[in-house]
Amino acid sequence: MRYSVRQTTHYAYDEAVPFSRHIIRMEPGSRAGQDVLAHRLMIEPSPNERTEDRDFFGNRVTRIAIDSPHDRLSVTVEADILLQSAILPAPHQTAAWEMIASHALTEPAIGADAPGQYLFPSRMVPIDPAITAYATISFPPGRPVLEAACDLNQRIKADFIYDTTATAVDTDPAHAFAMRRGVCQDFAHIMIAGLRGLGLPAAYVSGWLRTVPPEGEMRLEGADATHAWVSVWCGRDGWIGLDPTNGILAAMDHIVLAMGRDYADVAPLDGIIWSGSGHSLHVAVDVVPIMELPTDA
Amino acid sequence: MSPLPASCPEELGLPATLAAYRSGGQGAWDGLFDGDGRIRPVWRPFIDHIGQIGAPALQARFARADAHLASSGVVHRVYGDGAGVRPWPLSHMPVMISASEWSDLAAGVIERAEVLNALLADAYGAGRLVTEGVIPAALYAGSPEWARPMVDPKASNAQPLRFYAVDLARGPDGQWWVMSDRTQAPSGAGYALENRLAMARALPDLYRTMQIDRLAGFFQNFRSHLVSLKRNPDARIGLMSPGPLNETYFEHAYLANYLGLVLVEGEDLVVRDGALFIRTVAGLQPCDVMWRRVDSDFTDPLELNTRSRLGVPGLTEAARQGGVTLANAIGSGLAESRAWMAMMPALAAMHLGRPLRLPTQATWWGIDDSARATIRSRFDGLLIGSAFGAVLPGVGTGFALGASLKAEDRAALLARLDHRGIDIVAQEPLRLATTPIFDKGEIKPRPFVLRVFAAFTGSAWQVMPGGFARVSDSHDVNAVSLQRGGRSADVWVVSDQAVKPTSLLRGADARRVRRSPGALPSRAADNLFWLGRYVERTEFMVRLVRAALARTDRHENDIYTAIAATLTSWNALSAFPPLQPPAPADLARMALQNVALQSVMVLSRAALNAASVIRDRFSPDAWRVLNELVALTERPLRDPLADVEADDRLRDALRLLAAFSGLAQENMNRLNGWRFLDLGRRIERGIGMARLIERFASDDPWACDLLLELGDSTLTYRLRYVDMPERISVTDLLMLDPANPRSVAFQMERIAEHLAALPQTGPHAAGVLAQEWQTRLAKADARVFDHALPGDCAAALLRLSDLTIADHVRPSKAGGQV
Repeated sequence: MRYSVRQTTHYAYDEAVPFSRHIIRMEPGSRAGQDVLAHRLMIEPSPNERTEDRDFFGNRVTRIAIDSPHDRLSVTVEADILLQSAILPAPHQTAAWEMIASHALTEPAIGADAPGQYLFPSRMVPIDPAITAYATISFPPGRPVLEAACDLNQRIKADFIYDTTATAVDTDPAHAFAMRRGVCQDFAHIMIAGLRGLGLPAAYVSGWLRTVPPEGEMRLEGADATHAWVSVWCGRDGWIGLDPTNGILAAMDHIVLAMGRDYADVAPLDGIIWSGSGHSLHVAVDVVPIMELPTDA
Repeated sequence: MSPLPASCPEELGLPATLAAYRSGGQGAWDGLFDGDGRIRPVWRPFIDHIGQIGAPALQARFARADAHLASSGVVHRVYGDGAGVRPWPLSHMPVMISASEWSDLAAGVIERAEVLNALLADAYGAGRLVTEGVIPAALYAGSPEWARPMVDPKASNAQPLRFYAVDLARGPDGQWWVMSDRTQAPSGAGYALENRLAMARALPDLYRTMQIDRLAGFFQNFRSHLVSLKRNPDARIGLMSPGPLNETYFEHAYLANYLGLVLVEGEDLVVRDGALFIRTVAGLQPCDVMWRRVDSDFTDPLELNTRSRLGVPGLTEAARQGGVTLANAIGSGLAESRAWMAMMPALAAMHLGRPLRLPTQATWWGIDDSARATIRSRFDGLLIGSAFGAVLPGVGTGFALGASLKAEDRAALLARLDHRGIDIVAQEPLRLATTPIFDKGEIKPRPFVLRVFAAFTGSAWQVMPGGFARVSDSHDVNAVSLQRGGRSADVWVVSDQAVKPTSLLRGADARRVRRSPGALPSRAADNLFWLGRYVERTEFMVRLVRAALARTDRHENDIYTAIAATLTSWNALSAFPPLQPPAPADLARMALQNVALQSVMVLSRAALNAASVIRDRFSPDAWRVLNELVALTERPLRDPLADVEADDRLRDALRLLAAFSGLAQENMNRLNGWRFLDLGRRIERGIGMARLIERFASDDPWACDLLLELGDSTLTYRLRYVDMPERISVTDLLMLDPANPRSVAFQMERIAEHLAALPQTGPHAAGVLAQEWQTRLAKADARVFDHALPGDCAAALLRLSDLTIADHVRPSKAGGQV
């Protein structure tokens, strides 16, 4: 399936900012199962310094500095992406979860895909005894890892209420867990905390969902902004995406933007502005499957 | 007292205390006595010497060492302590180590530094040790100190470690053990230097005659190495500190001053196009080498911890591009984790092909089955701790003896060991050897640990010949932390050959290796300016209050009321109903100590706060005077307040203010820093005087008297004018006379001079305004006095204050500033 993505993030400052420095993680990169055919990033006002790079996790980053007074910053990404059909393992045929936890410790790899990267508490996801206890219910001894993870994924979908007013971007997972409310970021963090609490490698994935559902299907939650889900390491079966917000596997409707240990690693825009006043943020996303458009359009 | 033969301790004049010492030190290895109860040779000259001095004289000597530390302002900040800082506790007996023993120890320290550097280079480079299966990825990935933005498999930094310290414990058999490796930003070297100076002052004869290795060469060589790393010859070398709230800020200021580095905080620095700059009053100055004393995670809020307020946005990018060399590199703290300690023997064996000369305290990390089995089977007898600093039940982020844990915590930890053994380490507890201390006139054995420092100096590592010892106040092995009490001791490496003479440590005046003038960070300039304004305003208030309290007779009621109203207009006294000023005792109490007003106490505290963030720019004496001023003004006043007490308080305050002015005038180099301090004072003094003239100038004799008194010009006036005071001559003297150091015209001349001498980086509106007013005051004639002049002048001075900051402290973009 081929998609066209366009996302604009617009910051408006209360007063002119003389100098700002930002790191932008809004451009997708090609990775297994996903080819980025074309991409571009437009930044207003035009930065004085601009460098493009890949971060430790392999995500595309653009670092900018703006050196003249500005009262707004808008970043627009456009990308054409081809998602290949993934061949997913049958959940009941994956390895027992204890085996996965044990292999994760001995895997001799240190790159962005190495399971060892995703075992430990990270900036926004501490190990939490209550969340670990909740996750343990899905993980009886010997259960195949993906089967157990899918069970946890669906329990989170069933037990938690999607509520855009309950939490904020810096809400701690224990708090969202206690309320049983939140948005995609909270559910992903909770699921990651639960998996890591059991010694299983779990990563945070940000990306996009198609905004217009196929005919006859429900519109997925999280389609109106950058979405977030979880990737679980399943040993020889590799990393497999699970979307606890929708209780489904992350497959043909999920375009990966960035991967990291938690939201802090993949925040679309981090920045420092030299100003005391506040700012407001507006984000708009359109993800349109372009293969469904007439070829002469 | 005649010298005594030194054959046995009983003849030394301290017989009882040494006899008691031996029985008290049973068991553990002791530094003073060997196993047969004989004094070790390394101690002999010291024991003989103090025996000759005798106990009473010795106390006086040690008091001199303490006084040295107190007057240098050596303090160690204790978190959570209301007072914030406390005097540094110095043990008056050094830890003695013979040169031959030291050379083995030093070789072990260098070996460790080299191994750790190579391991860190791999962790931030190719990661070969993980991909080849020598260590698990979790050893890096588990540590919050593994700075992922600094990982580059293609372009590894060959020298991530340039300043290293190791904490050593001496076991019961005399063997040295490594308790921890300090690779992040080790502290203590500056304190060691201060301790050395204090001991050299207490026992100068002994220090001269014993062959004790000097410390200065070590610092000089490290500094030379930092200099050699500069790519731009004009660049500055910074010492990056988290600021005065950090527990070791004293040391940062001290080392910056000693080595001639620019003490900088995050807000002093800015990254442009991948290069690092210091914002100074002369614009952006390149800084391509920096001694980092801020923990890595806080150095860059853009790519590391976004909550940090101590860092520089873009610093990691500048470091990656080679725009700045950091010592140590960002992420060097990786090797400090306890999990790393557990892996150290295996890592070293792989790297060296043999064990390390200095063994590591036995540590097990629960990542593998055999370690977990050991931890489980010996749980009670081991210290249980957190592998990477995450909080664990019953243990927190530190250690606890397994046997001391509550049942529920113990159960939680054992359960955690099953699923997440990677979070847990256990260590063999160490029994510590003892070293002698003086306590209440007696010599006693106390457990100690030793921190040894090593610096990379270009081609090789060099160990500081000495160190920083921490000595427990009790026999409790866990008590050796300065956060929990204890004292510090100097470490003497006693050579049997003559040591190379080093002039640097002979006297306090030769202490500074080099001063780099000109690089005055804007933040320091700002604080100096405000320090000047606050000190001057404090003095102004003291004079006003004193003038009011001198006019309490019935017939002076109007004058008293007028002064009270003036205090109110300066917000040093709350408003009062017309003609009903507060009684003198109430006025004094309010203007001296009210916390909600601009009282003398509040202003002195503001002055000290401004000074506290620029400690490196002050002489210890000036700092001490400011502290005394704050202590004086904060001392509770008696109730009811007696006239004499208020008088004494005011007189003492004026005396301290005069002392501060004298020290600033006499002891500060005439560099930009002094100019900012003096600008603040002159502007404040000018405003005060102009306002007083505006309010009080009249032909009434009392008003003229009052103005002369507040302007401290009564004597000058009497010398110059024979007549009774009158308005024209008084205003001439206080407003227009450029020869009177209290006059407004005099202040304006100094202000104009300073502004003209400061670096011109952009607009110079302040300089133009000051010159305009200098001319205007020079042309004015007191006989045809313009009544609007004082008020206009005060307003101009207020504007000058703003313009000075705008033009010179925070120059706009034209000056290349943010």
